[in-house]
Amino acid sequence: MNIFLRELKANLKSLLIWSFIIVLLILIAVFKFSAFAGDPEMLKILDSMPPAVMDAMNMNAFNLTTLIGFYGIMFLYFGLMGAFAAAMWGSDIISKEERDKTVEFSLVLPVSRSRVVTAKALAALVNCIAFDLITWGFSVVAVQSYKPDQAFYDFLALEMQAMFMMELIFLAIGLMLGCVLKKYKSSGSTATGIILATYFMSVIASMNENFEFLKHFTPFHYYDAGNLFRSGQLNTTYLGVSVAIIVAALIAAYWVYNKRDLYI
Amino acid sequence: MSVIEVSHLTKFYGKSRGIVDVSFNVEEGEIFGFIGPNGAGKSTTIRLLLSLIHPTSGTGKVFGLDVTKHGPEIRRSIGYLPSEVFYYEGMKVIDLLKYSASFYEGNFTERMKYLSELMELEMNRRISDLSFGNKKKVGIVQGLLHNPKLLFLDEPTSGLDPLMQRKFFDLIREENKRGVTVFFSSHILGEVQRLCNRVGIIREGSMVEISDIRSLQQNNYKKISVTASGLTPEFFDTPGVTNVQTENGSVNFFFKGDINAMVQKVSSLKLDDVTIEEPTLEEIFMHYYE
Repeated sequence: MNIFLRELKANLKSLLIWSFIIVLLILIAVFKFSAFAGDPEMLKILDSMPPAVMDAMNMNAFNLTTLIGFYGIMFLYFGLMGAFAAAMWGSDIISKEERDKTVEFSLVLPVSRSRVVTAKALAALVNCIAFDLITWGFSVVAVQSYKPDQAFYDFLALEMQAMFMMELIFLAIGLMLGCVLKKYKSSGSTATGIILATYFMSVIASMNENFEFLKHFTPFHYYDAGNLFRSGQLNTTYLGVSVAIIVAALIAAYWVYNKRDLYI
Repeated sequence: MSVIEVSHLTKFYGKSRGIVDVSFNVEEGEIFGFIGPNGAGKSTTIRLLLSLIHPTSGTGKVFGLDVTKHGPEIRRSIGYLPSEVFYYEGMKVIDLLKYSASFYEGNFTERMKYLSELMELEMNRRISDLSFGNKKKVGIVQGLLHNPKLLFLDEPTSGLDPLMQRKFFDLIREENKRGVTVFFSSHILGEVQRLCNRVGIIREGSMVEISDIRSLQQNNYKKISVTASGLTPEFFDTPGVTNVQTENGSVNFFFKGDINAMVQKVSSLKLDDVTIEEPTLEEIFMHYYE
């Protein structure tokens, strides 16, 4: 409990910064939305854009002049932000002890390494939940002037569940990298690399049919806003795959961290 | 009873050597000195015993328990002062000490007060604002706070001023009197000699010698330098004298034997200057290489 509470406190600043960024993003986006909300001229301009761009931005699925369509496009940013924040929290919370050389204190305390990982993972999880709820809550506040209907609230709820799943996946991957990689410097950059690689995989998969198979390997496709909108629910198969990824990453994290030498 | 039992302990970091086939025991209630130059494997040995790193082969036992399997259990009764102290920078000294104490069973408020007053800690300062020496003082209090039965001290005096060093040594002696076993690693022979009952000497990853501090001293060379007019190296051509060299008009040599005889011999000269000092560690190791 003491490790968990200390980590919560230590990570509060980071949570506030990320929350500030996402609040700012929503503010700016909603402000921009006011320019083309319900404007038929805007639709024509959008329709004249090259199809590849439309695919990459996932604009085919959505009518950008409606609030739901607009939030469908916004999900891309929510997913990316959630992934980055979660991966950073996950990898940093483990690797910072080696970076700051505090392992010679924190792991000489009478605690097992598993207990340390569990407490830290829970603290990072709280951050992820808070980040998701802040995104959700502020979205509701920000769009009030457009008088959203129930359909919008339902879709927003679905998006936030999807964002949470993406946070969980990348939190688990971040934790694994922090636990497994002995070089503390590489865990953060590797996490960033994985996020960007999987994101571009999903972009390529949607743009080129020859690479469509790639979509099975990227969480950005598992929780594609267009699919969410069409089906109105999370894809059960991909939910299963997500859980498998999370469990595998966590097993690797605990297993290796218990065995490896700490970098001092 | 042996508090620490190390048997054929070997650690390689990839291909580079940590320690090779190190074996020794530390008995309950003793102060065991562990000396060797930098990079000899002192910290590696301690970190193996704290299960921060895991052995390549061999075993280490503390309180009769294997260090790789029972780490958390063992560490309940261990205090550790690393050579360089690193704590969470943003925390205040008092909060860090309370945080540390929260992991052990018992109430340590009184002891925290006693130790921090003794070490003259400023409890409300942030860790990040502390100098190297002051961090070390926090390390001493944190390491001793929970009444550990076994203390690992890794180059504990670096960064402490002489006054604090003396206070620290008194504190360690006091703890030892209460039955605390101390594992004292250092590269300064003098402080080990002052404090320890037995010493192990480690060089390039291997234990060269484990001996009683007295026999080590008797075996020990003194480094003597004499400056006097008309002095020739032949004057010191007596048993026990080795390695005679002349430098800038003074004669330097190592002496092993009855120091009284040597002092009498030197006193027959009309001296300009004389120094008798401890040989450096390296010079002692030369002895173990012969």
